[in-house]
Amino acid sequence: MEVKTNDFHAWSEGTEIHLEGTMRLAGTEAYAPIYALMIDVLDRAPPSVTMNLSNLEYLNSSGINMIAKFTIEIRKRENVHLIIKGSDQIPWQKKSLRNLKKLLPELDFLIE
Amino acid sequence: MMSGKMIGSRDVIGEEGASVCRLQLFDGPLELSWHHCATTSDFISDLCVLRVHLPFRQVRDIRHSVAYLTNELLENAVKFKSSGNVGVEAAISHGWFTIKTWNRMGAGSAVRLQSVLPELMAGDAADLLIERIERNAHSGGTESGLGLLTLMSDYGVRLAWTFEAVDRSEEVCLETFAALPIETADMTNARSHI
Repeated sequence: MEVKTNDFHAWSEGTEIHLEGTMRLAGTEAYAPIYALMIDVLDRAPPSVTMNLSNLEYLNSSGINMIAKFTIEIRKRENVHLIIKGSDQIPWQKKSLRNLKKLLPELDFLIE
Repeated sequence: MMSGKMIGSRDVIGEEGASVCRLQLFDGPLELSWHHCATTSDFISDLCVLRVHLPFRQVRDIRHSVAYLTNELLENAVKFKSSGNVGVEAAISHGWFTIKTWNRMGAGSAVRLQSVLPELMAGDAADLLIERIERNAHSGGTESGLGLLTLMSDYGVRLAWTFEAVDRSEEVCLETFAALPIETADMTNARSHI
């Protein structure tokens, strides 16, 4: 599965979800196809899921809400380990990713 | 009371004409208006950092924070406006990036907003943000207020709103004010207008 526009690219490879580019979509409905792609990975009941945000330069608050909702969904499923790959060169990640740890303290960050 | 109401940090509301990069986003289809939010916020952030002479890393962070704040306020204005254009005015002054957006909204929507905003301002923004995320995830509700809480919690933004009745109409003019702290130690002009 993948969603691709001029501004961003979302796809999965095995249990790794990649979000790249600039995502400034208009609310929950607009993000629904991307959320569906993420849930599709989770529905395969993997022991761990990786969310790779290393090249996600910009994400608006609706998008941040989407990844928070996904984090809570992983918490609900239990027995699924979440790994988030990010970049300390991308300002929004430095400011907002830490909130996910409050939702799921067991998650691991791999920040480069 | 609908008209003349103010919510938030009063000192965020600047003096008339104290800044100015002033732009208007013309009314149009939502998809186009949404695109204008993105391009306008990028434009304002690029103008803003022209005045900042700091190491690359700090300039990059300021550009991002200004674009993020501007885009969130414009998205809200476009999403909730009832008719007409959306206005935006921005400046850098004494270590703060300040911005004002304005739009018309229906009287009913304004009353609802006036009931929501005090809840968002009532406690610690970081705690409220997590609380609202949890609530939305469990109820399948909308993401109302999350953008504003993210600005306050993660960016240290201070916010205020004014509501004024529009003559002979069922509409209200909403002005949203925000102030973002930025690093200005080496700025060329302590009171630079962009």
